[in-house]
Amino acid sequence: MLLRDPFTKALHDARRSLLGWTVAIVAVGAMYASFWPTVQTPEMKEALAAYPEGVLEAFNYSDLTTAAGYLGSAVYGLLVPLLVAVFAIAAGTRAVAGDEEAGTLDLVLAHPVSRARLALLRFAAVAAGIVAVAVLLGLVMVALSGPAQFDGIGAGGFAAMTVHLTLFGLTFAALAFAVGAATGRRAAALGAGAAVAVLGYLANSVFPQVEGLAWAREVSPFHWYLGGSPLVDGVQPAGALLLLGATVLLVAAGTAAFTRRDVAV
Amino acid sequence: MAELAIETEKLVKTYGRNRGLTGLDLRVEPGEVYGFLGPNGAGKSTTIRLLLDLIRPTSGRVSVLGADPRRDGVALRRRIGYLAGDFVVDGRQTARELLTYLGNLRGGVSRARIEELAARLDLDLGRRIKGLSKGNRQKVGVVQAFMHQPELLILDEPTSGLDPFLQQEFLSLVREARADGRTVFMSSHVMSEVQQTADRVGFIREGRLVTVARVEELREQAVRKVEIHFDDPVSEAEFRDLPGVSEVTVTGTTLRCRLDGRADALVKAAAGHTVVGLLSEEPDLEELFFGYYSREEGTRVAA
Repeated sequence: MLLRDPFTKALHDARRSLLGWTVAIVAVGAMYASFWPTVQTPEMKEALAAYPEGVLEAFNYSDLTTAAGYLGSAVYGLLVPLLVAVFAIAAGTRAVAGDEEAGTLDLVLAHPVSRARLALLRFAAVAAGIVAVAVLLGLVMVALSGPAQFDGIGAGGFAAMTVHLTLFGLTFAALAFAVGAATGRRAAALGAGAAVAVLGYLANSVFPQVEGLAWAREVSPFHWYLGGSPLVDGVQPAGALLLLGATVLLVAAGTAAFTRRDVAV
Repeated sequence: MAELAIETEKLVKTYGRNRGLTGLDLRVEPGEVYGFLGPNGAGKSTTIRLLLDLIRPTSGRVSVLGADPRRDGVALRRRIGYLAGDFVVDGRQTARELLTYLGNLRGGVSRARIEELAARLDLDLGRRIKGLSKGNRQKVGVVQAFMHQPELLILDEPTSGLDPFLQQEFLSLVREARADGRTVFMSSHVMSEVQQTADRVGFIREGRLVTVARVEELREQAVRKVEIHFDDPVSEAEFRDLPGVSEVTVTGTTLRCRLDGRADALVKAAAGHTVVGLLSEEPDLEELFFGYYSREEGTRVAA
């Protein structure tokens, strides 16, 4: 029964948006992945070689000579993580701040549900959505492996990438959730999420090209997510743990702040 | 002595530029219907939000059904039904979906109970909430507040937006709740909304309780205009000096006067004649309510 508790209710309420995002993200990923055979043609290689290295790096196009390099760049390196981040930030914002600003949080909190339980169950529903998107995308990639000639990447590689993508999405969802739960303001939650996404992206792809800014990459969630080629080398403990740790800390801090403050009218 | 249903002591809530509450001492007896009156912005909603632990007091003490809303909030809210005047929910769900969910949060409310209340209020449960009129939306709120038969009903301006038929139905729900021994705490900015059901009314202004009165006593104190039609002409002098009677005018066989308090003396005097008709206006308690305010104002200016 989908109306049983705040977790299932949140999934029930988000069903349309979840379906839309899943279709969009999986379709974009599948489309880019299926370009791989075309990218291998000599004409394409020449065309790409004509670009300055800095530009390619800015778009996370590091190595386009192997399937893993291409997928890590074109699919898992740019559009998919950006879409997942946007999806996660929107969902994380809605969990508390969106509901509160709409004036609909009061009613639920006037029921026998503790604030911590409500917030955590709502975040769990957001997390379930992110897992669903990442896993479906991973399954589609595995299914495309044969037809699109993803030589050298096994199901294990996609599984590792899926773990990284999930943790990456959770981190952004947790950030927007935490800011929204602590402040009750949608704009603050969306703003914080967007700012970290943009700065994190630049810190991973652009800042390191500047002399003396190589360290910036180390604090970027994009680097924690992409660093060390999970598609080839499996789950990268450092990156995965940083993403997981950030998620746990943010969810804990946001929930704690939410239980202590006044709920806005 | 039974525990108070609601008790606050020197309750203060300051937030932002708003003063909120400036020292509220509230005592609501179990089993009574308490009308919580005051103008907009006096602190009625602030008080209610404190009772429900939606906001936290700056200082002072709150006790609801013997429990601390902050510490025992979850167990306490199981025993409370709450209705806000502006009942807002996500409009994409049907009333039935919402009520089922809210019932489940309370550990389950039978479908029959929801259907029964909906039928009584003439509410279509199958429609999406965003397609409902404001009055119908408010009905959904009434159902969710009453459906689990809570010990304490906290109703914030509950009848705003209800049409007269629904107001009557709502008032009978309140009366039934009281007959079952439940406590009802009901805020409003107009006396007429609460005077039909409330046992006592408390007047709040600028964040503190100005006065508390029994509605019955208010009625007794209330001034009403009385008109008596006699068979034969009567003399003014006969009625002029009766206790509580003033502004006596007689035109032919009709006597008009103001009656302050009990009607006994006037009725007994009139009984000496043949009374054809008697007209007594329902006293305007609202006037009295504002009377309290202005008196309070007067003493404050004097001080």
